[in-house]
Amino acid sequence: MTRKQRLSLIAAAATASLVSVGAIQAQGKDVTIATVVKITGINWFNRMEVGVKEFGEKTPGTKTFQTGPGQADAAQQLRVIEDLVAKNVDAITVVPFDPPSLEPILKKAMDKGIKVVTHEADNQRNTMVDLEAFDNAAYGARLNDRLAECMGKSGKWTSFVGSLGSQSHVQWADGGAANASKKFSGMKLVDAKNESGNDANKAYEKTKEILRKHPDIKGFQGSSSLDVLGIGRAVEEAGLQGKTCVFGTGLPNDSAKFLETGAIDGISFWDPKDAGFAMNKIAKMLLDGKTVQNGMDLGVKGYNQVSVSKGPGNGIVVKGQAWVDVDKANYKQYPF
Amino acid sequence: MGRVGLGSDAEMGKALEGKDAMTLKLSADRQLGFLLAVNVVIVLIATAWSKGQFVSTDNLQSMANQVPELGLLAIGVMLAMVSGNGGIDLSGTALANLAGVIAALATPALYSAETAPVAYAATFVATALAVGLLGGASNGLLIARIGLTPILATLGTSLLFTGIAVVLTNGSTVRIGDVEPLAAIGGETLFGVPIGFLIFVMATVLLACVLRHSSYGVRLYLMGTNPKAARYAGISLSGMLLATYAISGTLASMAGVLIASRTASVKWDYGSSYLLITILIAVMAGVRPSGGYGRISCLFFSATALQVLSSTFNVVGISNFFRDCAWGLLLLLFLASSGMNFGRVRHR
Repeated sequence: MTRKQRLSLIAAAATASLVSVGAIQAQGKDVTIATVVKITGINWFNRMEVGVKEFGEKTPGTKTFQTGPGQADAAQQLRVIEDLVAKNVDAITVVPFDPPSLEPILKKAMDKGIKVVTHEADNQRNTMVDLEAFDNAAYGARLNDRLAECMGKSGKWTSFVGSLGSQSHVQWADGGAANASKKFSGMKLVDAKNESGNDANKAYEKTKEILRKHPDIKGFQGSSSLDVLGIGRAVEEAGLQGKTCVFGTGLPNDSAKFLETGAIDGISFWDPKDAGFAMNKIAKMLLDGKTVQNGMDLGVKGYNQVSVSKGPGNGIVVKGQAWVDVDKANYKQYPF
Repeated sequence: MGRVGLGSDAEMGKALEGKDAMTLKLSADRQLGFLLAVNVVIVLIATAWSKGQFVSTDNLQSMANQVPELGLLAIGVMLAMVSGNGGIDLSGTALANLAGVIAALATPALYSAETAPVAYAATFVATALAVGLLGGASNGLLIARIGLTPILATLGTSLLFTGIAVVLTNGSTVRIGDVEPLAAIGGETLFGVPIGFLIFVMATVLLACVLRHSSYGVRLYLMGTNPKAARYAGISLSGMLLATYAISGTLASMAGVLIASRTASVKWDYGSSYLLITILIAVMAGVRPSGGYGRISCLFFSATALQVLSSTFNVVGISNFFRDCAWGLLLLLFLASSGMNFGRVRHR
């Protein structure tokens, strides 16, 4: 076949396909809610997917699914959302990796009539509802209180975040720092807010650096669910389980090994399954023309009496009381 | 756009013997043919799978909006590779972010976004391009004058650019806010085609003409094929390298403008996954990492092929983890089908 023949065959095939799909099937009456997470494949968001799927199964006329980038990069998350907006889903619930970078696309989504719900992003302007599991500053302070008690209220400590752009992580770290400076004058914060990129290996490497720089460090407050894993591993390798206190957000199954050895002293979390379920429930409420009222019961554990406040844009911030404190004694109660 | 640099045998008699030219011509056809076919096949499959929704206006525009960032960065990598001497540009994304950061911080000092949006946008773009030009030129200086290996030099400057951006922004995102002309670059369409995509196409066409018809283009390919012969032929290697990396830097800063426009913000670590993707686009376009060969037409379709494959996964609902797997497979298919010999062109 000559080159010309080949090219014209390709062109013909292309035209034929475009013409033949002119008849697009009529849409079903199901609404589609897409959940976009920060990064797929880590346990935290795998657990969230359980809640996302559960909502879709329990609610008639609703199709739910979860997706997200394979890498911790705001650019990749933006692309995923752009493709979903182009696909014209009915609602998007998103856990933003970097809230400001999503402002234009979320505005475009809302302009198209797509409902937008965010989570862990109370600085997001272009959203209808931002769901928070709890007051972030208070959560950070609680972690810090437990850390302080373990440290005997004195000594050097440091904090970790997934990324300096991850709003909730920064709020917890800052909440902890404010708590320590207010209540525990014997505690000294060094090298605050180390970035782990939501990667346990990076947290591990960073902790080793910190242990080299501050050999007498006593406390670590982690934010990303992967932070405590990396920190715990480094602490255990250095044999400092007894001499250091490690607290942070984490999931029981992941942290079990280190909780037993004492490398991690305690974790806190909120059940991502409940958050995923609640986000989708709010999205469905918005699709049905309803909104979330102050004091409302969302029918999800931890969100039985939510408080509603005005967000930075035209939307609202909905806060629950969904924290769970876990340590060596009670982690077995939580199967995830 | 066609073949660039290595045209008819008579023209390029200096660089190649007759037999090598024929081999190159055949493999070149197969490359472009493969890439075109891949684009078409993926679009057809995705269209069938998504019941036509893949080729809806919304989705086509969305894909066309996403290609330019990677495409412009990939052209920069391609130029660096073609220039030979182990040429590569690893600092593209870092420079793009730095250009955006400096522009976002400096422009409000000169114009207010509310009262003079057009002037604001124009200044923003100009500042970013200037930073890109300077950044690229510094790469060129390190490689040409000081003689560093390109991979090491650009790795170093990549870290330098990132570091400067972190310091300037304190690690956090800088919001640009609502500047209509600037947002239009990355968001609006002209006759249904996104402006960013038009910019990418224009850059491709412009560089294709430059590489094929200008003395710079001819010399670039000569230098990439055989630096020693080029030097004895009187080509100023350091001047050429400086120009090449400066162009690459400017393209990177243009990508930075698109990023700033699409996200209405700038951050030092945006697009951290882009580096390997741009190198993949260049390699899958048949650009020889050892220098002297690379076609912009192939690069264009390589970028679009990766984009449609990536969008297919999102639209159809396949996990993004398979995306890397699929890209790798595509690259291997490309290499197998084009029968590429990645070694130096043999002279008899």
